[in-house]
Order: sequence, then structure tokens, then C-alpha cells
Amino acid sequence: MTRQGVIAPVEMANTAPTNVLVVGVGGQGVIMISKAVARLCQENGLEVKQSEVHGMAKRGGSVFSHIRFGQEVKSPLIPQGEADILLAMEWAEGLRWLPYLNPERGIFIADTQRIVPPFSCRDRNRGAESGYINTSVQELVEKVPNAFAMDATSVATELGNARAANTVLLGALSTALEFSQEEWHRVIAEAVPPKTVGVNKEAFVKGRHWVESGETATDFSSDNVISLKEPRESRLEITQAWCKGCDICVKMCPERCLQLDQHQIVQLIDEKRCTGCRLCEWLCPDFAISVEAK
Amino acid sequence: MVETGKTTQEFEIRDYLRTELMPHFMCPGCGHGIALRALLWAIHDLGIAKDNLAVVSGIGCSGRTAAYIDANTIHTTHGRPLSFATGLKLARPDLHVVVITGDGDSLAIGGNHLIHACRRNLDITCVLLNNEVYGMTGGQVSPTTSAGRYTTTTPAGNHEPVFDACELATAAGASFVGREITMHVTALRDLFVQGLKHSGFSFIEVISDCTEIYGRKNELGNSPEMVMSHKADIRPESYGNVVDEPFRPTDLNVGVLSQTDRPEYYTAYRQHFGKQVEGNDDPKKGGAVT
Amino acid sequence: MKKTQVKLQAIQGNHSSALAAIDAGCRFYAGYPITPSSEVAEKMSSLLPDVDGVFIQMEDEIASMGAILGASLGGKKVMTATSGPGFSLKQEHIGFAAGAEIPCVIINVMRGGPSTGMPTRPSQGDVMQARWGTHGDHPVIVLAPDSVAEIYQQTLRAFNLAEQLRVPVVVLFDEVLGHLVESITIPEADTFERVERKWASGPEAEFQPYRDSGNGVPEMAMPGSGYRVHTTGLTHAEHGFPTQDPEIVERVTERLFNKISANYSLVESYEAEQCEKADVVIVAYGITARATRRALRKAREKGIGAGLFRPVTLWPFPQERFIEEVNPDAQILVPEMNRGQLSTEIERIAGRERVTSLPRFDGEPISPQQILEKIVEITAHG
Repeated sequence: MTRQGVIAPVEMANTAPTNVLVVGVGGQGVIMISKAVARLCQENGLEVKQSEVHGMAKRGGSVFSHIRFGQEVKSPLIPQGEADILLAMEWAEGLRWLPYLNPERGIFIADTQRIVPPFSCRDRNRGAESGYINTSVQELVEKVPNAFAMDATSVATELGNARAANTVLLGALSTALEFSQEEWHRVIAEAVPPKTVGVNKEAFVKGRHWVESGETATDFSSDNVISLKEPRESRLEITQAWCKGCDICVKMCPERCLQLDQHQIVQLIDEKRCTGCRLCEWLCPDFAISVEAK
Repeated sequence: MVETGKTTQEFEIRDYLRTELMPHFMCPGCGHGIALRALLWAIHDLGIAKDNLAVVSGIGCSGRTAAYIDANTIHTTHGRPLSFATGLKLARPDLHVVVITGDGDSLAIGGNHLIHACRRNLDITCVLLNNEVYGMTGGQVSPTTSAGRYTTTTPAGNHEPVFDACELATAAGASFVGREITMHVTALRDLFVQGLKHSGFSFIEVISDCTEIYGRKNELGNSPEMVMSHKADIRPESYGNVVDEPFRPTDLNVGVLSQTDRPEYYTAYRQHFGKQVEGNDDPKKGGAVT
Repeated sequence: MKKTQVKLQAIQGNHSSALAAIDAGCRFYAGYPITPSSEVAEKMSSLLPDVDGVFIQMEDEIASMGAILGASLGGKKVMTATSGPGFSLKQEHIGFAAGAEIPCVIINVMRGGPSTGMPTRPSQGDVMQARWGTHGDHPVIVLAPDSVAEIYQQTLRAFNLAEQLRVPVVVLFDEVLGHLVESITIPEADTFERVERKWASGPEAEFQPYRDSGNGVPEMAMPGSGYRVHTTGLTHAEHGFPTQDPEIVERVTERLFNKISANYSLVESYEAEQCEKADVVIVAYGITARATRRALRKAREKGIGAGLFRPVTLWPFPQERFIEEVNPDAQILVPEMNRGQLSTEIERIAGRERVTSLPRFDGEPISPQQILEKIVEITAHG
């Protein structure tokens, strides 16, 4: 498989089905794109099976869709290592599904957009490492033979609708399948909300041109930087004379680093665990705790 | 309405306290202290100078909080801080006048003053610290004591219906009405900020706790449990009429509950007599009375 | 008071107090309608806006008293007016004003009591209430004018005393005087003395809001001037915060009274007419003093040596002046429109055996004839 900027079309006439895996997070349009691809294949006389897992659509949860088409398709699911195309609308989702990509000839198309879920913050300490995968665009392009990493969200944003990022990626994907641009435009027009047909068609063309012009990778956009705040040292000061031992701070501390001493006065028992969240300070009715964060 | 200075300095509560009087005399775990922090924090965030702040309080535990604030503080008579505040604000529209009152103070003995302060819509911020009981006098029933609760004057449990202070204030015409619980310290601060910025009478009810007397008598748990319990009491309006009786027994709404832009009293008074509005009032706010 | 320039006006007693208030510099009035004092509020409502003052009719008597105290703390000269039932309600805040030393003027136009009593009939039944109406030991100054002109003068003076001594001052007159129309001469502005409050001075950190500043009266802190003080109805030490230390409590309570006694020369005012050699001295105040004057003329025509001692400052009673002025052997007659409230005070000073009370509490003013008859009766016995 040569790669000269343009994706070599997958062999759709093969007896074995062609496997396209579309992944992303809720709200990005994974299903919409899948439906467009499936419909186009069906209209061209191919047997299509498409199956999806969604339901977290409104909460940023993971969504994926298997699309298999060819002369004859039996199983609806793509086995590991057999996806011909992996289309990822979110960076970490793409990396997560990499084992499904055919290691030799699989084509990886991903948006470099990173959507960081709250639960990737595993440690409340400032400066603690994020749970979000830290693979760079460069590392990925070197690891995966047919990788196309584009900042589709920025492209779509420039067109005036960030939500059209999925059609930008579809444009990139279209170069790997043997359908004409007119056919693609038709299914897009049927799939997207009527008001956004224009911008989606434009987005599609942008994505298609990006691959055709020989681009393979753009880095994460500057406004999509995962910045870790400087670690901070917090110092907790207790004014013992003001403490009345009500126990509120002890029970409210998420890290359990306070306790009452034998005189029912609060004391810090584990300085290292204190994250400087200030809950104890804010909820102390006697203003006996002050958290100084440096 | 408050004319606010810019403040970038981090809030340090000691800057706003008469530290020589500390520790304050409230019981361990009393919610009034938390509410006081949120209030002072809002005052800090708005950049209100202590010299231009007047805090007027009534009688009871709530009334005693004023003394600890390093400002112009007036600890008045039972139920009547709003009457003093009305005179003070009309005499000195340049001052930011905050009233701290309690459930007995403003809903029982001072009920008349409260409804008329709401009606007039003078630019005062009234903070009601509601702990459902007369704490200072040893724990007697108040107009907000929940049904069935034991107090020293309801030995068989409270049989009287309660006042909803916010509905009362709204009905009486307060142009800004809100409620928060003490555990939502930062939300409470933000509510105070909104109330202080509002031009007109702002009424903010704080669901506070009397842990030592009311909590103990009714076995409502220790201080942390009482503070946290209010969180379970909250049922936002958006929840509608969900059948969730076993889990959420009360329907405490929090946040800004009502806001209107009726003419502010003093601005209207001045305009009525054809005077330039002095002080920091915005003449554009509050239409003329004709 | 220099009266170099004057203007003559025929006005009602109630209006007279309102005009005096404005002239004294009163810029805040809060009140509640009550017969027979409502005309004071009515007049103030029309006068105040023109002098950049504020008039407000509050929701009740208690609130109107509270509002004037709030405004006074804000730095304004303030007044309210009421009558018996309202005066009862105001007592809570009159006590606050006495304890927290907040200057204020209260006009009480007396009507028949107790309770709702006789709203449109005159009385002098609030003499003791004016002195001891609110609970606890407290100082208060009560002035009792006897004419529309004197209502003007004494109201003006009430403001000066209130501001100077930081004390509530009650101007006490009755329904007849309140509604009486007389021609009075009103001095032009700037021809009379207006006393201003003594404001806090010196280093802010060292300022104590209830420290004797020399004459028994502490300096007052103007909000916004840098002195952030605490005002409370609780018994407080010099620093303004509550205390229950017996030594301090005694000291600060004592000062409340001392500031009046130390400055009593400012406070006292009375009229003594032929008291030194009189066989009988009539002690009368307010409207009753006017009936007394006529009775005195008649008595003297009959050859009776009769004198008049009229306390204008009713409380604290000008006791020393009374002893100085009044013939120690004279019989004393105290006509008043109540069951003998001031006469008990006169008995205390002059001895019970010398004092005869002439009470009337049927809602009618005491007539000169009634007083004359009593004078004749007493002197006949003598």
C-alpha cells in the first residue's frame, strides 16, 4: 500500500466485506456519519450491516458504530484487527479503538480534537497528571502506517459551524471509497438538518481536499491544549482559640486529613493529603481555619 | 444598588472581622457563622468599603452576628432592624445597608416591618438567617419551625403551620428574593452578590442550623449531618412533580426565586419631588412616579 | 435667642412644632397618623421635600420611632410626633435612644387615656409616662410649652438639647394646644442658635464611641467617616460592645444621668411669678398654666398672695430652682389634667402636708374658676 497523500481506495469488489469503524463521543455525529455511509453503499447495491452502541449521546460518553458492506455480509460486527477504516472524531477514542484497525493496510482518520472528560482527573491535587492519553500526533503518525490526523474541528469552526467537523472527516474518508462527490453530497443533504446542508457540503469538500492535497497530520490546535496547572502547596492554618469542635470540617474534608484532638480542637493529621480545596475553611462557622495556597 | 469597586485581592475574612471580639459567641456548628462568611465574601468581591457598609441587625442569635463585622453596625431592637435601616438608608443613600435578621425577628415580632419594607422597595439587602427556632431564649417554637418538631414550647411537637419567608417576601413586593443553604457557601456568596447589586429591596433567606438546641432536641444529628441534610432537602423547581416522596421529603427551592425591576423607593421619592438623585443611585433605574 | 427680625403668623400648635423642626435643621421625619397629632406629620410631609429632607409615613408607631433613630445614626436631625397610644408603642425605641444615646425629638400631643381613651379630648395624663415610659433607668428630657409660640421655641430648643446631650427629648403638650391657633412671631433663619452634634475626632484606632468627651457626652461617629462603631441596645462599655461587668455597668449607667445633671443649666427652664412671698403657689404646666394665670389675677384681686411656678422643663424637674424660688411656708396647689401625676413629685420636694392636688380627668380643661375656688379654699384653711 503506497501512501502519497491520497488514500488508496479500499477494494470494495472483494468478496470479503469492507469494514468501517466510526467512533467518537456523544453529540459528535457518529451515527449520522454512519447512516450516510451505509445509505450510499446500499444505494450502490451492496449489502450493508451497521450496528452501534450509543445512549450516552448527550453526556459526552463514548459512541461507536460498525459499518460492514460488500457483496455478502454475515456478521454485523468488525473483529479486532480487521477494520479497513477507523474514523475517530475524538482523539482518545481513536487511540482506544486502534486494536480494531487492520495493522497492515488499515486507514486511520482522526480529528485531533481532544475532549477531556471530568473523570480523567483522578487526583484532586493541582498539577496531578491527567488521566487523558498523552500520545502526540507525531507519535501516532509514526506508529500507524496509514494515519491521517487532521484538525477537523478547527476547519469546521472556520466554516462557521464546529459541529460540521464530522463531515470534514467524512470528506477525508470519502477519498478511500469509490463514490463520486455528487453522490456524497446527496446523502449528506439527506442526513443533516436542512439549515446546515450548505456548510456540511463545504465541510465535506474541505476534508476531501485536505487529503487530496497531500496533508497527513496537523497538530492539536492551540486552543485545545490540556494544560496542567502548576502544582501548588497549600498551607492550612488553624486558629485553635476560635475552634469550637463542631466537627464540620472533619466530616466535610474529602481527603479526611483533619481530626479533633482530645480537647475537641481540630488538627491537621495528614498535611500531604490536603489538596487545598478550602471546603474546611468555607464551612467553618467559627472562621478557625484558613487555607493559604501558594 | 451597589456601586462596586474593583477588587482583585483574595478574600481574607479577618480583614472584615472585629477580631478582638473573636471567637464569636455562637454555639459550635451554628450555621450563622457560615452565612456570615458568605456575606462578607460577597461584600469583598463587590469591593464595598467597610466605611460605607452599615449592617443593621435585630435581636436573637442572628442579631448578634452584626457586632463581629468591622463596619458601621447597629444592633437594634427585636424585630425592628428594618425600621432603623429604612431611616438610615433614606438619610444616607450613600451607605450600603444590609439587614441581618432571624425567623422570629422578621417573621413574628417584625412581620409588619418586613412586609412593608418589601412593599416600599427601598434599596436594602435583608438577610434572614432561618434556623427554625428561637435559639437565644432557649429554643421556643418560631413561625418557621417544621411540623411536628419539638421545642420548649411545643412539648408535643409543633402543630402550627409555617411561613414560607420567600413566598411572603415575593407576595409583599420584594423585587429580589432568593434562598440558599449554608453548605452551598459559594452559591450563597453569589446570591448575596446579586442581592447587593440589585437596585431595590433584596431579600435573601439562608437555611441555617441551630445544632445545639434545635438539632439536639429533635435528634437531627450532629453539626456536619445537619449542614449536609439541607442538600437532600433541595428540590429544584425544574424537577416538577416527580414522585420522589421517600427520598426528598421537602421541596426546598434555592437560588434566585423572583426578581422584578420595580422602581426603587428613594430614587422614585426624589424624582417625585423633582430632585436630582444624589448618592450612588442610578437615575435610569426605577421609573419616575407620576 | 435674638429676635432681631420677625415675621408674624397665625398658626396651629401642631404646625408650630413642625415649622420649628425645619428651622432647627430637622431633615428626617417618620410618623404614623394619630389624633390629635397628625397635623405635625401633615405639615412635615409638605415642608421636608423643599429642604432636601425626607418624610416617610411608616407602617406603625414603633417603626416610625425606629426609622428616626436610624436616620439620626446616619447623621440627620430627626423628629416624630404621636399621642398616647402611639407614645406607648414608641417607648421601646425611646429606651433604645436613651441607652444608645441617639439624638431625637418626640412630640407627644396628649389625649385622654388609658388605652384608646378619648382621642379628641385633651389630657395631661402622659406626664409620668414621658418620664418613665420605657423600662429601666434612663435619662430623658421633657419640655412642656404652654402656647403656640412656646411650642415653636421649645421644639427648637428640644433639637438643640437632643443634639448637644445625645438624649431623646419629648415635647409634651395636649390636644387643646395642638389645635390652638395663635399669632406667633417666628424669628428669621440665622437669628437663633442651632446646636450641632459633636462628631468623632482624633485617631480612629483610639476612638471609643461612649467615652466621656469632657461634659459627660460622648462624641458620635458619623458613618462613612472612618470610625466604624457598634451601636447596641445592650448595656455597653465605652468601646460600644456589650458588657455585664458590674463595675462598668454602674459607671456607664451613672454617666447617662450625669450628662444631664452636669449640663442641667442648659436643660432647666421655668417661670416663677411672685413665688417668694406668696401664701399659695400654683404649680402648673401646659394649657393648665394658662387657666392658672387668669385664676391668679382673680385671686390677687381678692387680696390673696398667690404665685405661679411653671416648669417648662418638666423632667428632670427643676427642683433646686423650685426650692429657691418658692416661699417655704406657702401652700402649694397643683392643678393638672390627670389624677395628680406631677403633684406626687411636688409632694416629694415640698412635703405632703403643703401640697394640694387639683386633678381633672374628664376630658375637659381645668377652668380658671375651678382653680380660683381651690385657691380660696386652701387659703381659708390656712
